[in-house]
This record gives sequence, structure tokens and C-alpha cells, in this order.
Amino acid sequence: MIYTSRENAVAVFEELFTILIHDEQVNAKMREANIDARIVHKNPDFEVYFSPDKVLIDSEINNAAISIKMSCDTAHSLWRGELLMPLALAMGKVRIKGSIPKVLEFVPMLEPAFNRYNEIYNKHTSLV
Amino acid sequence: MFTLPKEIEELRLLVRNFAQNQVKPIVRELDQAAAEDFNWEIVREGAKLGLHRLPIPKEYGGLGYGILGTSVAMEELAAVDAGTALIFGATMLGQAPILLSADRELQNRFLPLFSSDEPVLASNAITEPDAGCDLLIPENAKYAMNVLSARKEGNEYVINGVKKYITNARVAKFACVYANLEDYVGAEGLTCFVIPLDSDGVTFNGIADKMGYRSCLGTEIVFNNVRVPAENIVGGEGNGMLISIQQMNMARGTVAAISTGIARGAFELATEWAGERIQGGKKLYEHQFTARKLAEMATKIEAARLLYLKASFEADNSLPAPVFEPAVAKLYADRIAIEVAEEAMSVMGARGYIRDHNLEKFMREALGARIYEGTPEVLALAITDFLYQENKIEEEVW
Repeated sequence: MIYTSRENAVAVFEELFTILIHDEQVNAKMREANIDARIVHKNPDFEVYFSPDKVLIDSEINNAAISIKMSCDTAHSLWRGELLMPLALAMGKVRIKGSIPKVLEFVPMLEPAFNRYNEIYNKHTSLV
Repeated sequence: MFTLPKEIEELRLLVRNFAQNQVKPIVRELDQAAAEDFNWEIVREGAKLGLHRLPIPKEYGGLGYGILGTSVAMEELAAVDAGTALIFGATMLGQAPILLSADRELQNRFLPLFSSDEPVLASNAITEPDAGCDLLIPENAKYAMNVLSARKEGNEYVINGVKKYITNARVAKFACVYANLEDYVGAEGLTCFVIPLDSDGVTFNGIADKMGYRSCLGTEIVFNNVRVPAENIVGGEGNGMLISIQQMNMARGTVAAISTGIARGAFELATEWAGERIQGGKKLYEHQFTARKLAEMATKIEAARLLYLKASFEADNSLPAPVFEPAVAKLYADRIAIEVAEEAMSVMGARGYIRDHNLEKFMREALGARIYEGTPEVLALAITDFLYQENKIEEEVW
């Protein structure tokens, strides 16, 4: 397992999505498309909910426009660019529910977070 | 109450109006033209309605209808002419890997091609002279023979070989083409490339003289040292089989809709005739045997429609696209299209057997739908694989 500490994993992904929603372009697009998302991470288990206004950990919001489920290992490979999204989907490593036309608009919006993941991961894991 | 979203119902009426008023008057001409004839005029009219960009997100200039809207449009077109439906359906199939790629650069290069009313078409190239199902079933990949090859040279790939029976290839801007990386056995290195069809080294051989779907073209594409940049790969090297399975699961609901449309087209001819023809002092539909036939046909069409709507709804709301619902929908719709066309023939008698009334066209088309996007045998494997999937229960609960 890449993340042996739940606390660490939460810290990384909370910061990652906070950066994402503060990106002006992403924020504007999320508002325009009325997108919010819930990402269910497994091993370690926790949920990140994010909308243009907030990032919440383990919230009880379960009616987000898009729900994504994947392991933290898969998330790590995806954000590092080592695993491509279509492949992860095809292999069943990532499962998405919600309006797929919205998902197709949403996934490319994640680009700013891809660029920052390694830095955030290194920052939090070097503290261990 | 079971209703479709208002915008989808509006799309249905728009496409029905196009099919009935613009395609139907020339349908015999489309069906009986020479195999190589292609009616750009009807495609141009369809493109004005956006039929070539139905599932593309609005961000890229599409209409954002998703699979559900596309399927509803396919039924309306196929109820008049399945070939016209397939022209636009194959375009969607060629767009699907790019839509699924999550690759913004690739999407920005290819999806805006469809953003205007200009009749731009796409294509999807899997089938080959020596390989059909071997390119669709992962367990068969190692047995695939003489597969289109891709040799890496620097930041490019050199493609050589032949694709066969490729819908739209002759008239499309680009195709999603599946080629096997050199040094991999069979199709184990299958990779999806987006290839503009005006690339140097791309040529076309004869048009297939098909039994049905005659308004769309099925062509052989020859790739002779065609150079493709690495950035045109969808989903990474060697992942073509996974991409094509995704693509098919996404698209099968739309093919089920085409079969449903074919059945409906045949049924409408039969009910019209049974409402006019008088035998034994009463209309045909008033005879108990005929009534039973018509009722069975109507029931089958309704069931097929519900299955494709559910499959399409699921495909619009989950990624990866579901395996089970689209396979079940296609298996059933393909079968009942043949059954309904045959029953319609028995209701119409000699009138159904002659070409003037187009029933025999529906019969020919019904037989075709069983071949593309998964034969009954391939669908049966997909369905049983799902039934015996180990983590099925966990996934269903989620």
C-alpha cells in the first residue's frame, strides 16, 4: 500500500482538491456545469467531497453529481500520471457514477491537480 | 411515471420528422443504389440537426445528449432506414475512444471537427480479413492472425496492414484504428490510434456490396507505412482491447436501438396493411390469429425498447460502461428484429415479399444487426462472464 497512514492520505487529497477548487478556471467551469463530486477512497478508507465552495472529508453528502470509487493506490498512480484514466476505467480500477456527459467534461478539468500531486505527496510523506 | 427527459423527447420528434419526411421519400433509391453510391445530401440534412455530434459534450461543440439521446435518435432513423442510422452511429463509435480518453489535447484536436452543421463523419476500424472476434475477446488475442501492425520509430508509429468492412471509412475524416505493436503475439499488443484518413499511405479498396444497410459504405482500408504520432494513441500502448471493450459496452445500447427501429419499421407496415386489408368480411387485424401476431410483435418491440433505454441510461450514468445491460439489450433486440420482420412478412403476404413496400429491406437489415458490435455468441460470453464475475455483488451494492 502506498499510504500506510490514513491521516497522511487525507492530508494529501484534501490539499490536492483544495488547490483544484481554487483554480479560477476549474472553479468557473464547475459552477457553470453545476458539478460537485464525491471520491470514495479505499485502503485507507475515507471520502473526499468537493464543490466549487468547499472540500469536506468524510461528509455525509452522498448525492453529488459525480461519485468516484478507487483505492488510494490507484489514485496515487492516476495522479502521478502512471495510470491513464481510460485504462483504469477499463480495468475496473476506477468506477464512476453520475451523469457521464458531466464526467466527460469534468475529468479533463483535473489537470491543475495532476501538476501538483507529486509535490503535495512528497511534502506530506516526507513528514512521516 | 416512466418518461424520458423533455429534451430527449424533443430530439425524438425532431429526428422522427427528419426520417419520415426527408429519408423515407428516397429510401428505395438509397437501398437500391449501387454499393459505392453515397448520398451526401441526406447526411448534410442530418448534420443540420446535429446527428453527427449527439453525444459530444457541449464544451466541444456537441449536443451533449449522451448515449440515451443517441439511442432514441437511432431508433427513429432505423425505423425508416438502418443504413442512415449506421452512418451516424458509426460516427459516434469513432468518437467514443476520444470521448473516453480523458485526454484534453486529443479531444481538442478531434472533437471540434464536429462542432458545426458541416457533415463531418468518423469511423471505427477493428475488423480485419483474418481477425474478427479475436480482436474483441481478450482470451482470443493470442490466436489473432495477421493483425494490422504498428512499429515504433522515434516518436511515431508506422502502421501496415488491412482493415475490412469498415463503416464510413471512405467518407470519414478519421478513424479509431486498432493495430498490434510489433513484437507482441497475435493481438496482445493491440493499441488504439486515431488516424486521419487523408494521411499519406492510406488507401481504400472496394466497397462491400452488402445485403442491407446499403445507404452506408463498408470499405476495406489499406495502411501502407502510415506514420502516426505517439500523441494519437488512446489509452496508452497495448491497451487497445480494453478500450475497444469499453467502447462496445458504451455503444451496444445504440445498436439495440437500431434493431428496435428495424422491428418497428416492419411492424408499422404490417399494422397498416392489417388495418386496410379485408378478408372473410373483416379487416385482417380482426382475425384472431392475425391479432395475436400483431400483439406479440408489439410486445417484443416494447420490451426491446425498454431494454435499450435502460442500457443507454446505465451507460450514461456509470463508467466503465456496464457490460450486462447493453449486451442483453442487443442480444434481444437483434433477435426480435428478425422475428418481427418475419411475422410482418406473414401478415402482408405477397405484398411483403415484393420490393415496392420495403418490408423485405427491413428483413435484410434485421439480419445485419446480429453481425456488428457483437454477434449473439460474443454477447452470450459477455453476459455469462458478468454472471460469474466474482465481485458482482459488491459492485451492484455500490
